Amino acid sequence: MVFNSYTFIAFFIVVLLLYNLPLAWKSKKIILLLASYVFYAAWNPPFILLLWLSTVVDYFVGRALYTQENVTKKRLLLVISLIGNLGMLCFFKYGGFLLENFTLLVNAIGVDFHPAKPDIILPAGISFYTFTTLCYTIDMYHKKSEPVKSILDFSLFVTFFPHLVAGPIVRPPQLVPQFETPRISTRKMLMDGLLLLSLGLFMKVVLADTLLAGTANDVFGNDGMLPMLDTWMGVLAFSGQIFFDFAGYSTCAIGAALCLGFVLPDNFKYPYAAVGFSDFWRRWHITLSAWLRDYLYIPLGGNKKGEGRTYINLMLTMLLGGLWHGANWTFVFWGGLHGFYLWVERFIREKFKSKPMLSPDISTAGITSGGRSGSFIYALLTFMLINVTWVFFRASTFKQSWTMLGSMFGITHGGEPMLTSISIIKVSVIVTIMVIVHWLMRNSSVLTLAYKIPWWVLSIAWACMLFSIMLSQESTSSFIYFQF
Amino acid sequence: MSPSSLSKAALFAALLVVIFVISWESYIRSTGFEISFDDGGPLWSHQRDRVYGPMDKTTVFIGSSRIKFDLDIPTWDKITGNQAVQLACVGSTPRPQLSDLANDPKFKGRVVVDVTEGLFFSLNPGNAFRPNEAIKYHTKITPTQRVGFELNIPLESTFAFLDKDHYSLNTMLDNLQIPSREGVHMGPIFARDFGYVRFDRQEYCGKLFMADTAQQHLQANIWAGFGRMNKKPPISGPPLDSILNLVKFDVDKIKAKGGDVFFVRTPSSGGFLEKELMGFPREKYWDRILATTGCKGIYFKDYPQIDHYVCPEESHLSPSDAIDFTTKFIDILRTDYGWTFPWHHFALTFILSVAELSTQQLSLSHSLTLSLPWSSTPTPS
Repeated sequence: MVFNSYTFIAFFIVVLLLYNLPLAWKSKKIILLLASYVFYAAWNPPFILLLWLSTVVDYFVGRALYTQENVTKKRLLLVISLIGNLGMLCFFKYGGFLLENFTLLVNAIGVDFHPAKPDIILPAGISFYTFTTLCYTIDMYHKKSEPVKSILDFSLFVTFFPHLVAGPIVRPPQLVPQFETPRISTRKMLMDGLLLLSLGLFMKVVLADTLLAGTANDVFGNDGMLPMLDTWMGVLAFSGQIFFDFAGYSTCAIGAALCLGFVLPDNFKYPYAAVGFSDFWRRWHITLSAWLRDYLYIPLGGNKKGEGRTYINLMLTMLLGGLWHGANWTFVFWGGLHGFYLWVERFIREKFKSKPMLSPDISTAGITSGGRSGSFIYALLTFMLINVTWVFFRASTFKQSWTMLGSMFGITHGGEPMLTSISIIKVSVIVTIMVIVHWLMRNSSVLTLAYKIPWWVLSIAWACMLFSIMLSQESTSSFIYFQF
Repeated sequence: MSPSSLSKAALFAALLVVIFVISWESYIRSTGFEISFDDGGPLWSHQRDRVYGPMDKTTVFIGSSRIKFDLDIPTWDKITGNQAVQLACVGSTPRPQLSDLANDPKFKGRVVVDVTEGLFFSLNPGNAFRPNEAIKYHTKITPTQRVGFELNIPLESTFAFLDKDHYSLNTMLDNLQIPSREGVHMGPIFARDFGYVRFDRQEYCGKLFMADTAQQHLQANIWAGFGRMNKKPPISGPPLDSILNLVKFDVDKIKAKGGDVFFVRTPSSGGFLEKELMGFPREKYWDRILATTGCKGIYFKDYPQIDHYVCPEESHLSPSDAIDFTTKFIDILRTDYGWTFPWHHFALTFILSVAELSTQQLSLSHSLTLSLPWSSTPTPS
């Protein structure tokens, strides 16, 4: 089920009530596990079998990996886990894509092969729970942490409903210890959680779905040429939509977990205030960036094998990160473009590291007082270049991407205007406010702010969010990141 | 701020929301707005699940908006003892629904197809969007969507402000009518009280609409505007043949399963009817549907009982005429086409007398929807 549905509200109330009954800790965990299975089965019940399979295999393989001393057997176990997890992901997510490209390849060399297009349904959240279980078995292989003691805790770690289908992608040490000892949801946690849930729903329902999605869909749904203004508005609308959609989901997830007394890691830290691209990836989908860094970039050698290998490793990581988002070459190109930006940024940083005054501060999220205006300009440049990458992320074909970019940069002209004045006003106002808020909040957090402002100001803002959610009666739509 | 202050903020926010909701709902009700259900995929899907009854117990209606306004479902159900399932979609061709039913191996029932020629024969993908979306929703519906629909029923039955077509945030922003850029077409804003949707998907003109000729003229002008926007000549030649063949293909499939398909051309009036007849002459369109499919059908002008209605905005019947039309439509089906209904003889006499009495009351008080027990918003069951 999705957070923005009546079903979830009813489900969550029941879960909160049952969870707060005076029961033994093990019983409470069983309630959470069963609730998580109900949450997942509410989409497509048969796919719960895949989740069980992944959980059971990785639990036992993980324990064996940790205790096995024979290197060959250990490697064999790791391969079994990788094949099991990645094989399932490849079949469901990349099956059609691989077959399509294989067909193109063999046709190109003259073989007449035209298979039927496979009709494969993608199980919700498979990319997320695959990464969650993978990091466990890899950690066990490297003995980075202790094996999870009980299958109940491991199942709950994999399946815990707030993070199950769209993250944040959690690591065993972040969540498993929280299941091992009884947790109590304090009043502060409950209130913080409810505030984050409300904010997440506001971001998803009001900002993403109601005010921005229509413009983004109209522009990206148009195959022909559009005027520059319409194209820019569509791209900016999508930039806002994907942030509010995905950050909204993560905020709901963190809020729901907090209501139950659990802490999930942050997934977004005002990414559109990023000063540079390495900073962007420390702020956007943080748990995925960290996963790719720890389980792909560093195992490839990271920056420890020379300058040339560092650039290659960076690009490989970003290309695979792009492919993780979807089975289409446009996603790979999107990742590649980010990899290219990171290359350029790294190159400039290396070239000018002895002359800090000549370059903006792109080393960390902090802004030096002397370089504030320079940092702001670089942040705006970062935001604009990120918008360019979103074109490839959202467009269904390269042809459409190039057509849109041609229009955005005045290279090609033509097309009839499409967007109404009110659509342009909505996008302009929301995206401008979003960028300003990101800049002002870049080193803070919602909860920090909530505790700083007077209680009645928070009340009014909270009430306005809730009422605008009620006024936005769009049909319940899925979160964009579910498809990944 | 301390944690206890956050609790205070939460409680005060909840109080403010309650005050907002009560005030906003009271304001909307004070303007005469009535409860209206969201006529999207979930409601359509709920009706779609009901098509599997035997032919003598269930009749499925597909078409455009006219059959949604013109068929009074409580009247149909009461007279016939047979359940009407409304699957028509406004502004749409019914061809996707016909194919959907034809391709459903479990469906073996009776379908009544409402023909509004301009939409029925349309090749514009926009005229198939709503039914296709509804069918897609029904095909892919998840358990959580079913539960969500059930939870939504009491809310939509209680709060008028949940009406998406008039009081959602986006609609209210669009209704600000900020002048648009040159060359950008803005969709017309329908008269607010023109169409209310009931839980059974029947639509009806609101009391304020029936009492306000300005709203009626506004709506009639919108229909005329749609006609002017469509500059293409009506479909003819091979594309028309192709559509008719596809319709016959689907009709044959339904008949092969033991089902039946019946066509009806529901009333329109005034200048709009004249333009329809000019664009879509009966012999080139309606007559060809019946000839190609071998089905029976009722063209409203052929029957004196139902040829005289004056539609308030030239295209849809008023609530009182919908009751009258439905009653007479059933009678024609029974007498001219041999349809049998278990309760017919007993119920017809009763309903006719009540309808006549109520229509008299309407002319005095303009309150037909309140005076007829079955024309108020039904309680979902």
